[in-house]
Amino acid sequence: MKYYTQVNNQDFEIDIDHEDEITVNGETYTIDFQTLAEAGLTSLLINNRSLEGAVEERGDVWEVLMLGKLYAVKVQDERSYRLAQARGVTTESGGGDVKAPMPGMIIAVPVSVGDVVQKGDKVIILESMKMENELRAPRDGVVVQVRTEPGASVEKDQLLVVISEEKGEIELEVEE
Amino acid sequence: MKREDGLLTQKFDKLLIANRGEIAMRILRACHELGIQTVAVYSDADRNAPHVRYANEAYNIGPAPARESYLVMDKLIEVAKRSGAQAIHPGYGFLAERAEFAQKCVDNDIVFVGPPARAIAIMGDKQEARQTVKAAGVPIVPGTEPGLNDEEMVAAADNIGYPLLVKAVAGGGGKGMRPVHRAEDLPDAIAAARREALAAFGDDVVYLEKMITEARHIEIQLLADSHGNTIYLGERECSLQRRHQKLIEESPSFVVDEDLRRRMGEVAVAAAEAVHYANAGTIEFLVDKDKNFYFLEMNTRLQVEHPVTELVTGIDIVQEMLRVARGRKLRFTQEDVTLKGWAIECRINAEDPYNNYLPSTGTITTVRVPTGPGVRVDTGVFPGYEITPFYDSMISKLICYGETRGEVVLRMRRALQEYRIMGVKTNIPFHQIMVESHRFLTGQFDTSFVETRFSMDEDDGETHEMEAAILAALAAHKQGLHASQIVAPGERDTSNWKWLSRWERLRR
Repeated sequence: MKYYTQVNNQDFEIDIDHEDEITVNGETYTIDFQTLAEAGLTSLLINNRSLEGAVEERGDVWEVLMLGKLYAVKVQDERSYRLAQARGVTTESGGGDVKAPMPGMIIAVPVSVGDVVQKGDKVIILESMKMENELRAPRDGVVVQVRTEPGASVEKDQLLVVISEEKGEIELEVEE
Repeated sequence: MKREDGLLTQKFDKLLIANRGEIAMRILRACHELGIQTVAVYSDADRNAPHVRYANEAYNIGPAPARESYLVMDKLIEVAKRSGAQAIHPGYGFLAERAEFAQKCVDNDIVFVGPPARAIAIMGDKQEARQTVKAAGVPIVPGTEPGLNDEEMVAAADNIGYPLLVKAVAGGGGKGMRPVHRAEDLPDAIAAARREALAAFGDDVVYLEKMITEARHIEIQLLADSHGNTIYLGERECSLQRRHQKLIEESPSFVVDEDLRRRMGEVAVAAAEAVHYANAGTIEFLVDKDKNFYFLEMNTRLQVEHPVTELVTGIDIVQEMLRVARGRKLRFTQEDVTLKGWAIECRINAEDPYNNYLPSTGTITTVRVPTGPGVRVDTGVFPGYEITPFYDSMISKLICYGETRGEVVLRMRRALQEYRIMGVKTNIPFHQIMVESHRFLTGQFDTSFVETRFSMDEDDGETHEMEAAILAALAAHKQGLHASQIVAPGERDTSNWKWLSRWERLRR
């Protein structure tokens, strides 16, 4: 089977047709892949090079922890890849959403709808774990929605602020 | 022996641990090594925690929020009495530095494994602490008295000079503290510090203090018995901090030589003796670039980073705490204490270093700790453990030891690579980049380094995108085959497309 993978903006086409062989971007390697009894741990021998990784499916990505670093890998099989291509779906979505990374209380909202912000600007101050945490704009753009206010209690992953990609893009967004 | 300042020492063979997490485990281990029975307490969130499972007895003390469980003094005293525990070890955080709790223990004839209540009270009040140690000849940082109103502080600030710090009288761990570099920022900083201090400690009294720039945070570990003996166990270098939260600690320090160590040690002993201190404690100093040192505060408890001192001195600090609380004399004199080798501790936190170090909540799914020569991991988490906003975000302390600093740095690098934690984001990548950085390797850093001159973009280490993609694809492939086999055993000739659609239906 063919898989299309993407990690840190790098693409790899991977063919898995045999148990002991894998082809990556046209190059074939001998492999031995084992999943260990301990949840999430895998061992891979690839041309006898040994790699251990913790691998876990989380949302729409596979998280791989290797040598201390965490990689978020998007894996699509041929069918879903083709479907996505045909629909012209971009993988970029929600890039301008600022969500609460943890439950807490909103201390301040230093931006309002219509403000032009740059990536890294403070948009929310959230108190949680007894600390004031600054949530910053994930990209340059214009604030198109502010869905909270100082004093509000918020849940993890609650949408707080939406920043549109470009200045001209201000439009009414459909409520989820 | 019972003293008027709230110190009770007597023999005990059963001890209640008024804490949770890694420090509860640390205390429990010391107790079991000394043949002391242990009583754990736990909130509703911690039923499955290791400190509950490893203790001899365990008692539920209420709901997950600490103020309804671990902070309720009367519940802890009640459990101690019910279980027959004759002593309480508070660990760090929670009730460790509450004089009222220490006094309550003593009033109930329970040994509080820590200093006398009076010493906690004096050192817990930053202003009284400054005055007390100043009178004992200890150098302090210039600043204002507490209790001034905003206008008076603004006026006083010009005399102290910028940069300066706004600090909460009741503060600690960086809460209620604000650095100010320009006069026009002072009013906002005072307001923010007051707000944070009021929320965290119920007290909005703040004061100003001169900020020592290019300062290192170096602290001296002390041990004192109830017979008038106080010794220092060398220093810990704790300059690598972010928002006043320590991230990496080591012992010894790059900048402390034999002479400075002795001078700081003697001053620290004098500060402790000024409050008739007993048990373990730590004097924190700021050391400027000319190696002048100033008293910052005294932590009247066991510290998170105590293991680095244990490794270079060979002294088990928690066991010594238990011994002196039983009324015994210290087993060491100052001459017995020598530092050998080098130890570094990395605090592994559930936070995302690539996203402004935001805390990462969630359930830990996989944990495998590094082991092998010179590696120690103090932790209280396990697969299934949930990182919640109720408690702090520390997952563990990874401590390495080596003959030389070079050896311990290489060992730490190896141990960080071996560590596997899944389910939440951790700051392991931060530590990996830090221990590889030129400034860390050459010891050229101060307390502002992490915030002002360190960047995660400095990572020039190898990345393994292709290998990660391969592992993910293989795992996805294997999961697909496995799922389709469950749906349709014996339909081996069915096309892959059918398997796939069945698998997808199953997972919906």
